[in-house]
Amino acid sequence: MIPRFYAFIRSLHLYIGLFLSPFVVVFAISVVFLVHAWMPGASSPAEKRTATEVAIPADFESLKGREQLAAAQVVLGQLGVHGDISLLRTIPRDRRYVMTVGLPGRETSVDLNVAQRTAAISIRTTGMWDATVYLHKMPGPHNVTTRGNTIFMIVWRWLADATVYLLLFLTISGVYLWAVLKTERRVGLALLAAGAVSFGGIVYALVA
Amino acid sequence: MPSSPEPAAIAAIAPRDFGVVCRAWNRRLHFYLGLYFLFFVWLFALTGLLLNHGSWSFADFWPNRKVANDEHAFVAPPGGAPLDQAHDLMRQFAIAGEIQWLTTRPDPNRFEFRVSRPGTNFEIQADLKTARAKIQRTDVNTWGIMRALHTFTGVRLGDRQNQRDWSLTTLWALAMDAVAAGLVVLVLSGVVMWWVLPGRKLSGAIALIVGVLVCGWFVVGLRLVYR
Repeated sequence: MIPRFYAFIRSLHLYIGLFLSPFVVVFAISVVFLVHAWMPGASSPAEKRTATEVAIPADFESLKGREQLAAAQVVLGQLGVHGDISLLRTIPRDRRYVMTVGLPGRETSVDLNVAQRTAAISIRTTGMWDATVYLHKMPGPHNVTTRGNTIFMIVWRWLADATVYLLLFLTISGVYLWAVLKTERRVGLALLAAGAVSFGGIVYALVA
Repeated sequence: MPSSPEPAAIAAIAPRDFGVVCRAWNRRLHFYLGLYFLFFVWLFALTGLLLNHGSWSFADFWPNRKVANDEHAFVAPPGGAPLDQAHDLMRQFAIAGEIQWLTTRPDPNRFEFRVSRPGTNFEIQADLKTARAKIQRTDVNTWGIMRALHTFTGVRLGDRQNQRDWSLTTLWALAMDAVAAGLVVLVLSGVVMWWVLPGRKLSGAIALIVGVLVCGWFVVGLRLVYR
């Protein structure tokens, strides 16, 4: 019974670990950029253009929340802009809507003027490293009611959560697989204790 | 006297032994790193989940914060860089933490900054003319501390105004780097362990390739599709 259970957990650990490997690498690499506020390579200068005669739904200004974001996505599609709207700022006096639209490795700003039916678009390619940072931070704790207005962000939210749950499974199953090995127990326990002490020590010093 | 093995036999055995030793150490490295970083990984994984689910009411710490206001007299710090002046005031107020500059300084007599550490923030508004300072201390509960630990780096991409200035922030940043490096090594050693495992190459390759394709779709694929 135990060898069969052990073999089953080992197989799960192996396949889940392999599937999760690229996700873990993306999160781990982006940590270095976030911790040191540094990004290799300069992002390209912004490409700017202005679209005219933009077809804006008649009720666009009266819409709220998710309905307005859905309508804004239709307008963005017409402008050839793709990505998740992370910020939608309304300037009622000028009848303008300023949107920050994110896609991994690209940031677009759209200034939609409803009165004039124009849109000033600024697209900046930020590259692959920035894409890892973007994915690390998304959807995140900010602008919760706005973010997640595209399929890709909804799927990424699910994948980011899945990464956590599967990583927790990997750690627990890893501890089980180690605990079964009698020869590695002493060193393993010493390292587990050392990890707990360093973790507890640093956290205590930071918080206390 | 025992007979020594033939040179040809040694040549045949040695590379295999070296491979066996490497595989054994790779396996140990995988175990040891995983065990050492276990608590760090749990913290960052769970807090990552909390950050992605701001609507989870059980972890909503901000409404339960405790705010205390106080006023202190101080000895005007000697001139020098703002960072030195801030450190001097912090020493007088017995406050330790990471300094954050929030505003520019239109009035040279006003000296305002924030000192933060996971769980506690101090907003300091010092009047250098009257040598009095208003200090607002905000404490959050364990959920707030956990969330802060995930993002406590002292620096932000695109913010040149703030640099890391507290030794414990640097230590925590190094710990974050170590966890990240440890995870990459765990991934690589895991891949090696799979590769040398007999009979699992195809099934393992499928799992790895599916992961690479799904993750790669987000990292580079989306940008290529939506040109």
